[in-house]
Amino acid sequence: MQGFALYPFDPPGDSSALRTDLRRWLADHQPRGDIVRRANCWASFDADFSRALGAAGYIGMTLPARYGGGDRHPLERYVAIEELLAAGAPVGAHWIADRQTGPLILRYGTEEQRQRYLPGIARGETYACIGLSEPGAGSDLAAVRTSARETAEGWRVNGQKIWTTGAHLSHIMLALIRTEEGSERNAGLSQLLIDLDTPGITIRPIIDMAGNHDFNEVFFDDVLVPHGALVGERGQGWKQVTAELGLERSGPERYLSSHALLVALIDAAGPDPAPALATLIGELTAEMWTLRQLSMSTAAKLAAGEDPMVEASVVKELGNGFEQDMPRRVQAVADCGWDDTDDLARLLRALLIASPSFSLRGGTREVIRGIIARGLGLR
Amino acid sequence: MSAAREMLCDTARAVFAEAAEAGMAPVEAAGFDLLLVPEADGGFGGDWGDANAVLRIAGVAVPDLPVAERILSGLGDAPKTLHAAATVGLMAGAMGQALALSIEHVNTRQQFGRPLGKFQAVQQSLAVLACEVAAVDAAAAAMAARLDAAGLDAEAADFEIAAAKLRANRAVGIVTAVAHQVHGAIGFTREYDLHRVTIPLMRWRGLHGNDAYWAERLGRQVAGFGGRGLWETLTARAE
Ligand SMILES: Cc1cc2nc3c(=O)[nH]c(=O)nc-3n(C[C@H](O)[C@H](O)[C@H](O)COP(=O)(O)OP(=O)(O)OC[C@H]3O[C@@H](n4cnc5c(N)ncnc54)[C@H](O)[C@@H]3O)c2cc1C
Repeated sequence: MQGFALYPFDPPGDSSALRTDLRRWLADHQPRGDIVRRANCWASFDADFSRALGAAGYIGMTLPARYGGGDRHPLERYVAIEELLAAGAPVGAHWIADRQTGPLILRYGTEEQRQRYLPGIARGETYACIGLSEPGAGSDLAAVRTSARETAEGWRVNGQKIWTTGAHLSHIMLALIRTEEGSERNAGLSQLLIDLDTPGITIRPIIDMAGNHDFNEVFFDDVLVPHGALVGERGQGWKQVTAELGLERSGPERYLSSHALLVALIDAAGPDPAPALATLIGELTAEMWTLRQLSMSTAAKLAAGEDPMVEASVVKELGNGFEQDMPRRVQAVADCGWDDTDDLARLLRALLIASPSFSLRGGTREVIRGIIARGLGLR
Repeated sequence: MSAAREMLCDTARAVFAEAAEAGMAPVEAAGFDLLLVPEADGGFGGDWGDANAVLRIAGVAVPDLPVAERILSGLGDAPKTLHAAATVGLMAGAMGQALALSIEHVNTRQQFGRPLGKFQAVQQSLAVLACEVAAVDAAAAAMAARLDAAGLDAEAADFEIAAAKLRANRAVGIVTAVAHQVHGAIGFTREYDLHRVTIPLMRWRGLHGNDAYWAERLGRQVAGFGGRGLWETLTARAE
């Protein structure tokens, strides 16, 4: 990786009009609700909001119109999700389906799968979860053991996934499963698209340290799924998942999902802040602005058909660090009691508690740094 | 990169290689003071993107020579903010060089029977260093784009210059620390080249505005935008 050349971010059409329209739409449709739901907002589940957003054309924006999509350019979608995240809109319900499951089905899925799932995704009605992690396969994802055997009626699935965000609220899981008996490591894996109402699937909540029910354990007990559930090529699951993770890592959610805290800090500081507060606001702004450049450039590269695996990891690493540090630095400077009930204090407490997860989900910090080191030619 | 800028960079590399031995004379002879002067006034008619590319090379090859001052002298009495902007270009180059030297070193130096770069602790440190370099490169490029959109009006680009200089300043601590750590004692010698970029980086952090200066200046500007106004301003400035 020699020098990070900024790739021009040049969406077709008038992106400031797109922003203005979406801001106006949000002014009418974003639930007032609890300010805390604006922090870490891609975990805020609100099906009514997602359906309204889908009807307005802001979900599945890049999918072809024949599948109910918007036929828009990926960078137009980027502009739209920036606006949604900066506003702290509750995008959690459709987030995974819109960001990765839909595009993956479009890229690798059969015509039948596309027709079956994509229109619902674009309407903001079909939600998806990611079935990668297992009790014995965390960072070492190639250790997955959940298996599927092909029979005359279809695939028989047995095993367990864990930490599955939103499984209890989703309709489908895109699961990484060992389809080849006796295979090891990253060979013999395939992706299956599983309807979560199939008999034999049990979903149990895991309550996180904030007291929320976001992630789950998902058990598969001799679950019969149709032959048509296979996505892409049998045995190529590892390659497909790696591509999927690339989509996942560089988006604006890596630095904008806690934006509500910065907004509250600036508002609490007022127009003439004390020097320590002004300094902190300046530092956080400089980092956020820089991350935006990195993320936009990486998105532009992705949109141009390149494979910016290392750049995407740089965005995740720096973005996670920024979002994890921000509440700590705010707490060090702002005058906030733990139990205070003003916006800033409540956002701060929520994000302090949520922040350990930022460098775990989507690939741990150590795994991401390993990918960057490989890009440097060290591994 | 445009063909014209490519040629400019080739020239800069050749001139700075000579200047590394001979001092400023080759830089003066090459006319870098005309880089930002409009063609109509007999200059080269370059933009800040060009200046940034040249400064990046200067930060690698001749970090001790007053190349930034030379380039800015063509603009007459350039404001302090433009000097800060120029320093960011130098810093990006020097940081890239600190990374390049570090990678080369850990790939060749062996301990415990392996190149240092095979140890995970070393890999993880260098990943952190590489992220900082990428961030400063991106900041420098985005600042250049804004300066060019504003016709080199430093006041109109005050937000971006503040953000870029501050981000670069903050990277200095990490970049110098990691680069020296992975080098071991050899990096602490006068003979080895690392200090040729790390000492200038330490100096540039405090030059034309240290962290506190730019952070408070930027923070006051943002406080004036208000919480929601920050995002609106940020997006409007880039479109
Ligand atoms: C909020 C949240 C939501 C999640 N949602 C989902 C989801 O929807 N779907 C899903 O499939 N998964 C999900 N995950 C799981 C996530 O992907 C895993 O937590 C992650 O991959 C790490 O696995 P682990 O938790 O088993 O940790 P481990 O792999 O046990 O790692 C523990 C620590 O050891 C470090 N470590 C491990 N191996 C090495 C090594 N070789 N070298 C150096 N350090 C190492 C790790 O970096 C980490 O710091 C979620 C996790 C969280 C926290």
